[in-house]
Amino acid sequence: MIPVFLGVAILTYAVGNAAGSPLDLIRIGLRNPSPAVIEAMRHYYHLDRPVYERFLLWLWQLLQGNLGVSQSGRPVAQQIGAWALTTLELQVISLVLAVAIGVPVGVYSAQHQYSKSDYVITSTAIFGYSMPVFWLGIILIIVFSFTLGWLPSSGAHGLSFVWWGNPLLDHLAHLILPVTVLTYVDLATFVRLVRANMLEVLRQDYILAARSSGLSERTVTYRYALRNAISPVITIIGLSFGAALGGAPATETTFSWPGLGYAFAQAALNLDIPLVQGITVVITIMVLAANLIMDLMYAVLDPRVRID
Amino acid sequence: MAGSAIVVFFLAVGLFGPYLAPYPARSYEALYAGEAGDPPSWKHPFGVEQSGIDVFSETIHGTRNDLYVGLAASILTTLLGVALGAVAGYYKGRIGEIVLGITQVFFVIPFLLLILLFARVFSILVFKGLGLTLIVLIIAFFGWSSVSFVVRGETLKIKEMEFVQASRSIGASSWRLLFRHIVPNILSPVIVITTLNIAGFILTEVVVSFLGFGDANTSTWGLILNEGFSYIRTRWWVCVFPGLACVFCVLGFNLMGDGLSDALNPRLRE
Repeated sequence: MIPVFLGVAILTYAVGNAAGSPLDLIRIGLRNPSPAVIEAMRHYYHLDRPVYERFLLWLWQLLQGNLGVSQSGRPVAQQIGAWALTTLELQVISLVLAVAIGVPVGVYSAQHQYSKSDYVITSTAIFGYSMPVFWLGIILIIVFSFTLGWLPSSGAHGLSFVWWGNPLLDHLAHLILPVTVLTYVDLATFVRLVRANMLEVLRQDYILAARSSGLSERTVTYRYALRNAISPVITIIGLSFGAALGGAPATETTFSWPGLGYAFAQAALNLDIPLVQGITVVITIMVLAANLIMDLMYAVLDPRVRID
Repeated sequence: MAGSAIVVFFLAVGLFGPYLAPYPARSYEALYAGEAGDPPSWKHPFGVEQSGIDVFSETIHGTRNDLYVGLAASILTTLLGVALGAVAGYYKGRIGEIVLGITQVFFVIPFLLLILLFARVFSILVFKGLGLTLIVLIIAFFGWSSVSFVVRGETLKIKEMEFVQASRSIGASSWRLLFRHIVPNILSPVIVITTLNIAGFILTEVVVSFLGFGDANTSTWGLILNEGFSYIRTRWWVCVFPGLACVFCVLGFNLMGDGLSDALNPRLRE
Protein backbone atom coordinates (compact mmCIF):
# COMPACT_ATOMS: atom_id res chain seq x y z
CA MET A 1 0.00 0.00 0.00
CA ILE A 2 2.71 2.46 1.01
CA PRO A 3 4.98 1.83 -1.98
CA VAL A 4 1.98 2.22 -4.24
CA PHE A 5 1.11 5.54 -2.69
CA LEU A 6 4.70 6.69 -2.95
CA GLY A 7 4.79 5.67 -6.58
CA VAL A 8 1.70 7.69 -7.36
CA ALA A 9 3.06 10.65 -5.40
CA ILE A 10 6.28 10.53 -7.38
CA LEU A 11 4.43 10.38 -10.68
CA THR A 12 2.17 13.26 -9.80
CA TYR A 13 4.99 15.43 -8.59
CA ALA A 14 7.13 14.53 -11.57
CA VAL A 15 4.56 15.59 -14.08
CA GLY A 16 3.77 18.69 -12.11
CA ASN A 17 7.41 19.53 -12.34
CA ALA A 18 7.70 18.50 -15.95
CA ALA A 19 5.18 21.20 -16.62
CA GLY A 20 8.06 23.42 -15.80
CA SER A 21 8.86 24.88 -12.49
CA PRO A 22 6.07 26.92 -10.96
CA LEU A 23 7.94 29.97 -12.15
CA ASP A 24 7.50 29.08 -15.79
CA LEU A 25 3.84 28.53 -15.28
CA ILE A 26 3.39 31.82 -13.52
CA ARG A 27 5.36 33.55 -16.24
CA ILE A 28 2.91 32.20 -18.72
CA GLY A 29 0.17 33.79 -16.69
CA LEU A 30 1.70 37.14 -15.85
CA ARG A 31 3.10 39.23 -18.60
CA ASN A 32 6.09 41.01 -17.15
CA PRO A 33 6.72 40.07 -13.57
CA SER A 34 9.23 42.34 -11.89
CA PRO A 35 12.46 40.81 -10.58
CA ALA A 36 11.25 41.31 -7.03
CA VAL A 37 8.19 39.17 -7.68
CA ILE A 38 10.29 36.49 -9.33
CA GLU A 39 12.66 36.44 -6.40
CA ALA A 40 9.83 36.16 -3.92
CA MET A 41 8.26 33.31 -5.88
CA ARG A 42 11.58 31.57 -6.16
CA HIS A 43 12.05 31.71 -2.44
CA TYR A 44 8.49 30.63 -1.73
CA TYR A 45 8.65 27.55 -3.92
CA HIS A 46 12.14 26.71 -2.68
CA LEU A 47 13.38 26.62 -6.24
CA ASP A 48 16.93 27.09 -5.08
CA ARG A 49 16.91 23.53 -3.78
CA PRO A 50 17.32 20.48 -6.01
CA VAL A 51 14.34 18.48 -7.24
CA TYR A 52 14.40 15.58 -4.83
CA GLU A 53 14.58 17.94 -1.87
CA ARG A 54 11.57 19.77 -3.17
CA PHE A 55 9.73 16.49 -3.58
CA LEU A 56 10.46 15.43 -0.01
CA LEU A 57 9.41 18.84 1.24
CA TRP A 58 6.16 18.51 -0.65
CA LEU A 59 5.57 15.01 0.67
CA TRP A 60 6.28 16.08 4.22
CA GLN A 61 3.85 18.95 3.97
CA LEU A 62 1.33 16.59 2.47
CA LEU A 63 1.52 14.21 5.38
CA GLN A 64 0.94 17.06 7.74
CA GLY A 65 -2.19 17.96 5.89
CA ASN A 66 -0.85 20.98 4.07
CA LEU A 67 -1.58 20.51 0.42
CA GLY A 68 -0.12 23.75 -0.76
CA VAL A 69 -1.67 26.88 -2.13
CA SER A 70 -3.43 26.92 -5.45
CA GLN A 71 -2.95 29.52 -8.09
CA SER A 72 -6.03 31.35 -7.01
CA GLY A 73 -4.30 31.98 -3.70
CA ARG A 74 -6.52 29.84 -1.53
CA PRO A 75 -5.08 26.86 0.31
CA VAL A 76 -5.81 23.63 -1.46
CA ALA A 77 -6.74 21.63 1.57
CA GLN A 78 -9.49 24.06 2.45
CA GLN A 79 -11.15 23.74 -0.94
CA ILE A 80 -10.84 20.01 -1.23
CA GLY A 81 -12.83 19.15 1.85
CA ALA A 82 -16.20 20.25 0.54
CA TRP A 83 -15.55 18.88 -2.92
CA ALA A 84 -14.50 15.50 -1.62
CA LEU A 85 -17.72 15.10 0.32
CA THR A 86 -19.80 16.05 -2.68
CA THR A 87 -18.03 13.60 -4.94
CA LEU A 88 -18.15 10.82 -2.39
CA GLU A 89 -21.85 11.39 -1.91
CA LEU A 90 -22.54 10.91 -5.58
CA GLN A 91 -20.24 7.94 -6.03
CA VAL A 92 -21.25 6.04 -2.92
CA ILE A 93 -24.98 6.41 -3.57
CA SER A 94 -24.53 5.27 -7.16
CA LEU A 95 -22.39 2.32 -6.16
CA VAL A 96 -24.79 1.16 -3.48
CA LEU A 97 -27.75 1.41 -5.84
CA ALA A 98 -25.84 -0.34 -8.60
CA VAL A 99 -25.00 -3.27 -6.35
CA ALA A 100 -28.44 -3.39 -4.79
CA ILE A 101 -30.15 -3.53 -8.16
CA GLY A 102 -27.45 -5.29 -10.13
CA VAL A 103 -26.96 -8.38 -8.02
CA PRO A 104 -30.59 -9.52 -7.89
CA VAL A 105 -31.06 -8.74 -11.57
CA GLY A 106 -27.95 -10.70 -12.41
CA VAL A 107 -29.13 -13.64 -10.36
CA TYR A 108 -32.54 -13.54 -12.00
CA SER A 109 -30.94 -13.37 -15.40
CA ALA A 110 -28.77 -16.38 -14.67
CA GLN A 111 -31.69 -18.39 -13.38
CA HIS A 112 -33.75 -17.73 -16.49
CA GLN A 113 -31.02 -18.11 -19.03
CA TYR A 114 -32.02 -17.81 -22.67
CA SER A 115 -35.44 -16.47 -21.81
CA LYS A 116 -36.74 -13.27 -23.29
CA SER A 117 -36.11 -11.28 -20.13
CA ASP A 118 -32.56 -12.58 -19.96
CA TYR A 119 -32.01 -11.38 -23.50
CA VAL A 120 -33.44 -7.95 -22.73
CA ILE A 121 -31.39 -7.62 -19.58
CA THR A 122 -28.14 -8.65 -21.23
CA SER A 123 -28.67 -6.34 -24.20
CA THR A 124 -29.43 -3.41 -21.94
CA ALA A 125 -26.32 -4.19 -19.93
CA ILE A 126 -23.99 -4.33 -22.91
CA PHE A 127 -25.50 -1.12 -24.19
CA GLY A 128 -24.88 0.35 -20.78
CA TYR A 129 -21.18 -0.10 -20.63
CA SER A 130 -20.72 0.85 -24.26
CA MET A 131 -21.81 4.39 -23.84
CA PRO A 132 -19.78 7.28 -22.55
CA VAL A 133 -21.23 8.12 -19.17
CA PHE A 134 -21.68 11.75 -19.91
CA TRP A 135 -23.46 11.17 -23.21
CA LEU A 136 -26.24 9.39 -21.41
CA GLY A 137 -26.26 12.33 -19.05
CA ILE A 138 -26.64 14.72 -21.94
CA ILE A 139 -29.52 12.74 -23.38
CA LEU A 140 -31.29 12.61 -20.04
CA ILE A 141 -30.76 16.33 -19.52
CA ILE A 142 -32.27 17.05 -22.91
CA VAL A 143 -35.25 14.87 -22.22
CA PHE A 144 -35.95 15.50 -18.58
CA SER A 145 -34.71 19.01 -18.01
CA PHE A 146 -35.20 20.86 -21.22
CA THR A 147 -38.12 19.13 -22.81
CA LEU A 148 -40.09 18.01 -19.82
CA GLY A 149 -38.79 20.33 -17.16
CA TRP A 150 -39.19 17.71 -14.46
CA LEU A 151 -35.66 17.70 -13.12
CA PRO A 152 -32.86 20.24 -12.73
CA SER A 153 -29.98 20.00 -15.11
CA SER A 154 -26.98 21.19 -13.19
CA GLY A 155 -25.38 21.76 -9.87
CA ALA A 156 -26.03 20.22 -6.53
CA HIS A 157 -28.35 22.87 -5.19
CA GLY A 158 -30.76 25.16 -6.93
CA LEU A 159 -30.82 28.90 -6.49
CA SER A 160 -32.67 29.63 -3.28
CA PHE A 161 -33.46 25.94 -3.12
CA VAL A 162 -36.52 26.32 -5.31
CA TRP A 163 -36.85 22.81 -6.61
CA TRP A 164 -39.52 20.73 -4.92
CA GLY A 165 -39.92 22.84 -1.86
CA ASN A 166 -37.32 22.53 0.88
CA PRO A 167 -33.51 22.29 0.66
CA LEU A 168 -33.37 18.57 1.29
CA LEU A 169 -35.79 17.73 -1.49
CA ASP A 170 -34.01 20.23 -3.67
CA HIS A 171 -30.74 18.41 -3.20
CA LEU A 172 -32.53 15.15 -3.85
CA ALA A 173 -33.92 16.49 -7.10
CA HIS A 174 -30.46 17.48 -8.19
CA LEU A 175 -29.13 14.08 -7.25
CA ILE A 176 -31.53 12.07 -9.37
CA LEU A 177 -30.08 12.56 -12.85
CA PRO A 178 -26.37 12.10 -12.06
CA VAL A 179 -27.10 9.11 -9.87
CA THR A 180 -29.25 7.53 -12.56
CA VAL A 181 -26.51 7.89 -15.11
CA LEU A 182 -23.73 6.58 -12.90
CA THR A 183 -25.86 3.75 -11.53
CA TYR A 184 -26.86 2.57 -14.99
CA VAL A 185 -23.29 2.32 -16.18
CA ASP A 186 -22.08 0.56 -13.03
CA LEU A 187 -25.13 -1.66 -13.11
CA ALA A 188 -24.28 -2.90 -16.56
CA THR A 189 -20.95 -4.26 -15.39
CA PHE A 190 -22.36 -5.88 -12.28
CA VAL A 191 -25.29 -7.53 -13.99
CA ARG A 192 -23.07 -9.16 -16.56
CA LEU A 193 -20.51 -10.23 -14.01
CA VAL A 194 -23.00 -11.67 -11.54
CA ARG A 195 -24.80 -13.43 -14.34
CA ALA A 196 -21.61 -15.02 -15.66
CA ASN A 197 -20.47 -16.14 -12.22
CA MET A 198 -23.88 -17.46 -11.25
CA LEU A 199 -24.11 -19.44 -14.47
CA GLU A 200 -20.84 -21.11 -13.68
CA VAL A 201 -21.73 -21.82 -10.07
CA LEU A 202 -25.21 -23.12 -10.86
CA ARG A 203 -23.69 -25.87 -12.96
CA GLN A 204 -21.80 -27.31 -10.05
CA ASP A 205 -22.71 -30.59 -8.46
CA TYR A 206 -23.28 -29.30 -4.99
CA ILE A 207 -26.11 -27.12 -6.24
CA LEU A 208 -27.77 -30.19 -7.66
CA ALA A 209 -27.20 -31.95 -4.37
CA ALA A 210 -28.69 -29.07 -2.40
CA ARG A 211 -31.72 -28.98 -4.64
CA SER A 212 -32.31 -32.69 -4.47
CA SER A 213 -32.09 -32.66 -0.69
CA GLY A 214 -35.28 -30.67 -0.67
CA LEU A 215 -34.14 -27.14 0.05
CA SER A 216 -36.25 -24.40 -1.47
CA GLU A 217 -35.05 -22.82 -4.66
CA ARG A 218 -34.65 -19.54 -2.84
CA THR A 219 -32.33 -21.02 -0.21
CA VAL A 220 -30.30 -22.83 -2.81
CA THR A 221 -29.84 -19.72 -4.85
CA TYR A 222 -29.08 -17.23 -2.19
CA ARG A 223 -27.39 -19.14 0.54
CA TYR A 224 -25.29 -21.46 -1.56
CA ALA A 225 -24.86 -20.28 -5.11
CA LEU A 226 -24.62 -16.57 -4.49
CA ARG A 227 -22.23 -16.96 -1.57
CA ASN A 228 -19.79 -18.66 -3.85
CA ALA A 229 -20.34 -16.47 -6.86
CA ILE A 230 -19.92 -13.25 -4.98
CA SER A 231 -16.17 -13.17 -4.40
CA PRO A 232 -15.04 -11.91 -7.79
CA VAL A 233 -17.90 -9.45 -7.65
CA ILE A 234 -16.49 -7.92 -4.47
CA THR A 235 -13.16 -7.37 -6.16
CA ILE A 236 -14.83 -5.75 -9.11
CA ILE A 237 -16.89 -3.55 -6.82
CA GLY A 238 -13.69 -2.23 -5.30
CA LEU A 239 -12.12 -1.68 -8.70
CA SER A 240 -15.30 -0.09 -9.99
CA PHE A 241 -15.32 2.38 -7.18
CA GLY A 242 -11.73 3.29 -7.96
CA ALA A 243 -12.51 3.64 -11.63
CA ALA A 244 -15.64 5.67 -10.91
CA LEU A 245 -13.68 8.04 -8.71
CA GLY A 246 -11.12 8.38 -11.44
CA GLY A 247 -13.83 8.93 -14.02
CA ALA A 248 -15.58 11.55 -12.00
CA PRO A 249 -14.46 14.50 -14.14
CA ALA A 250 -16.71 13.61 -17.05
CA THR A 251 -19.91 13.07 -15.11
CA GLU A 252 -19.38 16.04 -12.88
CA THR A 253 -18.63 18.35 -15.79
CA THR A 254 -21.81 17.30 -17.54
CA PHE A 255 -23.96 18.06 -14.55
CA SER A 256 -21.79 20.85 -13.17
CA TRP A 257 -21.68 18.82 -10.00
CA PRO A 258 -19.29 20.69 -7.69
CA GLY A 259 -17.06 17.80 -6.78
CA LEU A 260 -13.44 16.73 -7.06
CA GLY A 261 -13.71 15.66 -10.67
CA TYR A 262 -15.11 18.96 -11.83
CA ALA A 263 -12.50 20.86 -9.84
CA PHE A 264 -9.78 18.67 -11.28
CA ALA A 265 -10.87 19.28 -14.86
CA GLN A 266 -10.96 23.03 -14.34
CA ALA A 267 -7.66 23.05 -12.49
CA ALA A 268 -5.89 20.98 -15.12
CA LEU A 269 -7.19 23.23 -17.88
CA ASN A 270 -5.88 26.24 -16.00
CA LEU A 271 -2.61 24.44 -15.21
CA ASP A 272 -3.17 25.06 -11.52
CA ILE A 273 -0.57 22.53 -10.54
CA PRO A 274 -0.76 22.54 -6.73
CA LEU A 275 -4.51 22.02 -6.89
CA VAL A 276 -4.13 19.23 -9.39
CA GLN A 277 -1.51 17.49 -7.31
CA GLY A 278 -3.62 17.85 -4.20
CA ILE A 279 -6.73 16.41 -5.80
CA THR A 280 -4.81 13.50 -7.34
CA VAL A 281 -3.34 12.62 -3.98
CA VAL A 282 -6.73 12.77 -2.27
CA ILE A 283 -8.41 10.63 -4.90
CA THR A 284 -5.58 8.11 -4.76
CA ILE A 285 -6.00 7.84 -1.02
CA MET A 286 -9.73 7.25 -1.50
CA VAL A 287 -9.07 4.56 -4.07
CA LEU A 288 -6.55 2.82 -1.83
CA ALA A 289 -8.97 3.02 1.09
CA ALA A 290 -11.73 1.50 -1.02
CA ASN A 291 -9.45 -1.34 -2.07
CA LEU A 292 -8.49 -1.98 1.53
CA ILE A 293 -12.14 -2.14 2.57
CA MET A 294 -12.84 -4.54 -0.25
CA ASP A 295 -9.97 -6.77 0.80
CA LEU A 296 -11.33 -6.87 4.32
CA MET A 297 -14.83 -7.70 3.15
CA TYR A 298 -13.40 -10.39 0.94
CA ALA A 299 -11.75 -11.94 3.96
CA VAL A 300 -15.00 -11.81 5.90
CA LEU A 301 -17.11 -13.39 3.19
CA ASP A 302 -14.74 -16.07 2.00
CA PRO A 303 -13.41 -18.25 4.82
CA ARG A 304 -10.64 -19.57 2.64
CA VAL A 305 -9.01 -16.20 2.58
CA ARG A 306 -7.67 -14.78 5.80
CA ILE A 307 -5.62 -11.68 6.41
CA ASP A 308 -2.00 -12.64 6.40
CA MET B 1 -21.43 -11.83 -35.01
CA ALA B 2 -23.38 -8.62 -34.91
CA GLY B 3 -20.39 -7.03 -33.27
CA SER B 4 -18.10 -7.91 -36.13
CA ALA B 5 -20.58 -6.51 -38.62
CA ILE B 6 -20.72 -3.24 -36.73
CA VAL B 7 -16.95 -3.10 -36.45
CA VAL B 8 -16.49 -3.74 -40.16
CA PHE B 9 -18.99 -0.99 -40.89
CA PHE B 10 -17.13 1.50 -38.77
CA LEU B 11 -13.77 0.48 -40.16
CA ALA B 12 -15.13 1.07 -43.64
CA VAL B 13 -16.46 4.46 -42.65
CA GLY B 14 -13.13 5.27 -41.08
CA LEU B 15 -11.13 4.22 -44.10
CA PHE B 16 -13.27 5.54 -46.92
CA GLY B 17 -15.55 8.03 -45.28
CA PRO B 18 -13.28 11.04 -45.23
CA TYR B 19 -13.03 10.87 -48.99
CA LEU B 20 -16.78 10.69 -49.42
CA ALA B 21 -17.87 13.12 -46.74
CA PRO B 22 -19.71 16.19 -47.97
CA TYR B 23 -17.43 18.65 -46.23
CA PRO B 24 -13.72 18.51 -45.38
CA ALA B 25 -12.62 18.12 -41.79
CA ARG B 26 -13.18 21.12 -39.54
CA SER B 27 -14.44 23.23 -42.37
CA TYR B 28 -16.69 26.17 -41.71
CA GLU B 29 -18.20 26.25 -45.20
CA ALA B 30 -21.71 25.98 -43.95
CA LEU B 31 -21.16 29.24 -42.11
CA TYR B 32 -20.49 31.03 -45.37
CA ALA B 33 -23.57 29.49 -46.87
CA GLY B 34 -25.57 30.98 -44.04
CA GLU B 35 -26.51 27.62 -42.64
CA ALA B 36 -24.74 27.80 -39.28
CA GLY B 37 -26.78 26.29 -36.54
CA ASP B 38 -29.32 24.57 -38.75
CA PRO B 39 -31.23 21.58 -37.49
CA PRO B 40 -30.96 18.25 -39.37
CA SER B 41 -32.12 18.44 -42.95
CA TRP B 42 -31.50 16.70 -46.25
CA LYS B 43 -28.48 18.83 -46.91
CA HIS B 44 -27.04 18.36 -43.46
CA PRO B 45 -28.22 14.99 -42.15
CA PHE B 46 -27.00 15.59 -38.63
CA GLY B 47 -27.41 19.30 -38.56
CA VAL B 48 -24.88 22.10 -38.36
CA GLU B 49 -23.01 23.40 -35.36
CA GLN B 50 -23.20 26.93 -34.12
CA SER B 51 -19.82 27.65 -35.66
CA GLY B 52 -20.73 26.32 -39.07
CA ILE B 53 -19.21 22.87 -38.93
CA ASP B 54 -21.35 20.18 -40.53
CA VAL B 55 -21.94 17.52 -37.90
CA PHE B 56 -22.37 14.66 -40.36
CA SER B 57 -18.99 15.21 -42.03
CA GLU B 58 -17.39 15.80 -38.70
CA THR B 59 -18.71 12.50 -37.41
CA ILE B 60 -17.27 10.72 -40.42
CA HIS B 61 -13.87 12.35 -40.06
CA GLY B 62 -14.00 11.69 -36.38
CA THR B 63 -14.56 7.99 -37.00
CA ARG B 64 -11.16 7.65 -38.53
CA ASN B 65 -9.40 9.53 -35.75
CA ASP B 66 -11.19 7.76 -32.95
CA LEU B 67 -10.58 4.37 -34.50
CA TYR B 68 -6.93 5.30 -34.83
CA VAL B 69 -6.70 6.15 -31.16
CA GLY B 70 -8.57 3.04 -30.08
CA LEU B 71 -6.61 0.62 -32.22
CA ALA B 72 -3.19 2.15 -31.75
CA ALA B 73 -3.58 2.58 -28.01
CA SER B 74 -4.87 -0.95 -27.63
CA ILE B 75 -2.08 -2.52 -29.63
CA LEU B 76 0.57 -0.53 -27.81
CA THR B 77 -0.97 -1.36 -24.45
CA THR B 78 -1.04 -5.04 -25.32
CA LEU B 79 2.58 -5.05 -26.44
CA LEU B 80 3.69 -3.35 -23.25
CA GLY B 81 1.45 -5.49 -21.07
CA VAL B 82 2.52 -8.76 -22.63
CA ALA B 83 6.19 -7.90 -22.45
CA LEU B 84 6.07 -6.83 -18.83
CA GLY B 85 3.58 -9.45 -17.75
CA ALA B 86 5.58 -12.26 -19.27
CA VAL B 87 8.69 -11.01 -17.51
CA ALA B 88 6.83 -10.74 -14.22
CA GLY B 89 5.48 -14.24 -14.56
CA TYR B 90 8.53 -15.95 -15.90
CA TYR B 91 11.28 -14.59 -13.70
CA LYS B 92 10.25 -15.62 -10.23
CA GLY B 93 12.96 -13.88 -8.27
CA ARG B 94 13.88 -10.26 -7.76
CA ILE B 95 13.12 -9.11 -11.30
CA GLY B 96 9.69 -10.66 -11.25
CA GLU B 97 8.82 -9.03 -7.96
CA ILE B 98 10.02 -5.61 -9.01
CA VAL B 99 8.03 -5.72 -12.22
CA LEU B 100 5.00 -6.94 -10.30
CA GLY B 101 5.37 -4.05 -7.89
CA ILE B 102 5.58 -1.54 -10.70
CA THR B 103 2.49 -3.09 -12.25
CA GLN B 104 0.60 -2.71 -9.00
CA VAL B 105 1.55 0.94 -8.72
CA PHE B 106 0.33 1.66 -12.22
CA PHE B 107 -2.82 -0.33 -11.59
CA VAL B 108 -4.00 1.81 -8.72
CA ILE B 109 -3.34 5.15 -10.37
CA PRO B 110 -6.59 6.97 -11.11
CA PHE B 111 -6.54 6.36 -14.82
CA LEU B 112 -8.44 9.28 -16.21
CA LEU B 113 -7.04 11.89 -13.86
CA LEU B 114 -3.43 11.34 -14.74
CA ILE B 115 -4.21 10.97 -18.41
CA LEU B 116 -5.87 14.39 -18.31
CA LEU B 117 -2.96 15.87 -16.42
CA PHE B 118 -0.30 14.43 -18.67
CA ALA B 119 -2.22 15.33 -21.82
CA ARG B 120 -2.63 18.92 -20.72
CA VAL B 121 0.94 19.38 -19.56
CA PHE B 122 2.62 17.68 -22.44
CA SER B 123 0.53 19.16 -25.18
CA ILE B 124 1.05 22.69 -23.97
CA LEU B 125 4.48 22.81 -22.57
CA VAL B 126 6.62 20.03 -23.89
CA PHE B 127 5.53 18.21 -27.01
CA LYS B 128 3.59 20.44 -29.31
CA GLY B 129 2.25 19.16 -32.55
CA LEU B 130 1.88 15.49 -31.79
CA GLY B 131 -1.87 15.65 -31.73
CA LEU B 132 -3.72 12.45 -31.11
CA THR B 133 -0.59 10.33 -31.03
CA LEU B 134 0.18 11.96 -27.73
CA ILE B 135 -3.12 10.71 -26.35
CA VAL B 136 -2.34 7.24 -27.68
CA LEU B 137 1.02 7.19 -25.95
CA ILE B 138 -0.37 8.47 -22.69
CA ILE B 139 -3.21 5.95 -22.66
CA ALA B 140 -0.77 3.15 -23.31
CA PHE B 141 1.52 4.45 -20.60
CA PHE B 142 -1.22 4.17 -18.01
CA GLY B 143 -3.24 1.31 -19.35
CA TRP B 144 -0.82 -1.56 -19.61
CA SER B 145 -1.12 -2.77 -16.06
CA SER B 146 -4.42 -4.65 -16.39
CA VAL B 147 -3.11 -6.55 -19.40
CA SER B 148 0.07 -7.25 -17.51
CA PHE B 149 -1.73 -8.85 -14.59
CA VAL B 150 -3.64 -11.23 -16.82
CA VAL B 151 -0.54 -12.11 -18.81
CA ARG B 152 1.39 -12.76 -15.65
CA GLY B 153 -1.30 -15.11 -14.39
CA GLU B 154 -1.39 -17.03 -17.62
CA THR B 155 2.39 -17.19 -17.80
CA LEU B 156 2.55 -18.65 -14.32
CA LYS B 157 0.13 -21.34 -15.38
CA ILE B 158 1.80 -22.18 -18.66
CA LYS B 159 5.24 -22.16 -17.14
CA GLU B 160 4.52 -25.30 -15.14
CA MET B 161 3.15 -27.26 -18.02
CA GLU B 162 4.93 -30.29 -19.30
CA PHE B 163 5.89 -29.11 -22.71
CA VAL B 164 7.64 -26.11 -21.22
CA GLN B 165 9.48 -28.29 -18.73
CA ALA B 166 10.45 -30.62 -21.55
CA SER B 167 11.74 -27.80 -23.63
CA ARG B 168 13.73 -26.41 -20.76
CA SER B 169 15.22 -29.80 -19.96
CA ILE B 170 16.76 -30.08 -23.38
CA GLY B 171 18.44 -26.75 -22.84
CA ALA B 172 16.25 -24.18 -24.52
CA SER B 173 17.20 -20.61 -23.65
CA SER B 174 14.83 -18.36 -21.77
CA TRP B 175 14.13 -16.22 -24.82
CA ARG B 176 13.18 -19.23 -26.86
CA LEU B 177 10.91 -20.50 -24.15
CA LEU B 178 9.22 -17.18 -23.80
CA PHE B 179 8.64 -16.45 -27.43
CA ARG B 180 8.11 -19.84 -28.99
CA HIS B 181 6.20 -21.53 -26.21
CA ILE B 182 4.68 -19.25 -23.64
CA VAL B 183 3.52 -16.29 -25.66
CA PRO B 184 1.66 -18.25 -28.36
CA ASN B 185 -0.29 -20.04 -25.68
CA ILE B 186 -1.47 -16.99 -23.83
CA LEU B 187 -2.80 -15.42 -27.00
CA SER B 188 -6.49 -16.22 -26.53
CA PRO B 189 -7.20 -14.13 -23.43
CA VAL B 190 -4.85 -11.46 -24.76
CA ILE B 191 -6.83 -11.16 -28.00
CA VAL B 192 -10.05 -10.79 -26.04
CA ILE B 193 -8.57 -8.14 -23.79
CA THR B 194 -7.14 -6.25 -26.75
CA THR B 195 -10.53 -6.10 -28.44
CA LEU B 196 -12.31 -5.00 -25.30
CA ASN B 197 -9.57 -2.44 -24.73
CA ILE B 198 -10.22 -0.91 -28.13
CA ALA B 199 -13.74 -0.19 -26.95
CA GLY B 200 -12.56 1.17 -23.62
CA PHE B 201 -9.88 3.38 -25.09
CA ILE B 202 -12.23 4.89 -27.65
CA LEU B 203 -14.44 5.83 -24.71
CA THR B 204 -11.42 7.22 -22.88
CA GLU B 205 -10.47 9.31 -25.86
CA VAL B 206 -14.00 10.66 -26.14
CA VAL B 207 -13.96 11.67 -22.49
CA VAL B 208 -10.54 13.30 -22.80
CA SER B 209 -11.60 15.31 -25.85
CA PHE B 210 -14.94 16.16 -24.32
CA LEU B 211 -13.29 17.76 -21.32
CA GLY B 212 -11.12 19.81 -23.62
CA PHE B 213 -7.83 18.00 -23.16
CA GLY B 214 -7.54 16.57 -26.62
CA ASP B 215 -6.21 18.06 -29.79
CA ALA B 216 -8.37 20.95 -30.91
CA ASN B 217 -7.38 20.64 -34.55
CA THR B 218 -8.20 17.00 -35.12
CA SER B 219 -11.84 16.10 -35.42
CA THR B 220 -12.95 13.50 -32.94
CA TRP B 221 -16.35 12.66 -31.48
CA GLY B 222 -15.34 14.04 -28.13
CA LEU B 223 -14.42 17.36 -29.69
CA ILE B 224 -17.84 17.75 -31.31
CA LEU B 225 -19.47 16.88 -28.01
CA ASN B 226 -17.33 19.48 -26.31
CA GLU B 227 -18.31 22.15 -28.80
CA GLY B 228 -21.94 21.22 -28.70
CA PHE B 229 -22.27 20.89 -24.97
CA SER B 230 -22.95 24.55 -24.36
CA TYR B 231 -25.83 24.46 -26.79
CA ILE B 232 -27.72 21.35 -25.82
CA ARG B 233 -30.73 23.36 -24.88
CA THR B 234 -31.15 24.85 -28.32
CA ARG B 235 -29.14 22.73 -30.73
CA TRP B 236 -29.46 19.25 -29.38
CA TRP B 237 -28.40 17.54 -32.58
CA VAL B 238 -24.74 18.47 -32.17
CA CYS B 239 -24.35 16.27 -29.14
CA VAL B 240 -26.81 13.51 -29.83
CA PHE B 241 -25.65 12.16 -33.19
CA PRO B 242 -21.89 11.90 -32.68
CA GLY B 243 -22.64 10.35 -29.32
CA LEU B 244 -24.82 7.75 -31.01
CA ALA B 245 -22.02 7.00 -33.45
CA CYS B 246 -19.63 6.55 -30.56
CA VAL B 247 -22.05 4.29 -28.69
CA PHE B 248 -22.54 2.01 -31.67
CA CYS B 249 -18.87 1.84 -32.48
CA VAL B 250 -17.96 0.92 -28.93
CA LEU B 251 -20.91 -1.46 -28.79
CA GLY B 252 -19.56 -3.19 -31.87
CA PHE B 253 -16.17 -3.73 -30.32
CA ASN B 254 -17.68 -4.87 -27.04
CA LEU B 255 -19.90 -7.40 -28.78
CA MET B 256 -16.98 -8.60 -30.82
CA GLY B 257 -14.89 -8.97 -27.70
CA ASP B 258 -17.63 -10.91 -25.95
CA GLY B 259 -18.04 -13.14 -28.96
CA LEU B 260 -14.33 -13.81 -29.09
CA SER B 261 -14.33 -14.53 -25.39
CA ASP B 262 -17.09 -17.10 -25.77
CA ALA B 263 -15.43 -18.66 -28.76
CA LEU B 264 -11.97 -18.91 -27.24
CA ASN B 265 -13.00 -19.98 -23.79
CA PRO B 266 -14.83 -23.29 -24.10
CA ARG B 267 -15.43 -23.63 -20.39
CA LEU B 268 -18.01 -20.88 -20.33
CA ARG B 269 -19.75 -21.91 -23.48
CA GLU B 270 -23.47 -22.12 -22.91
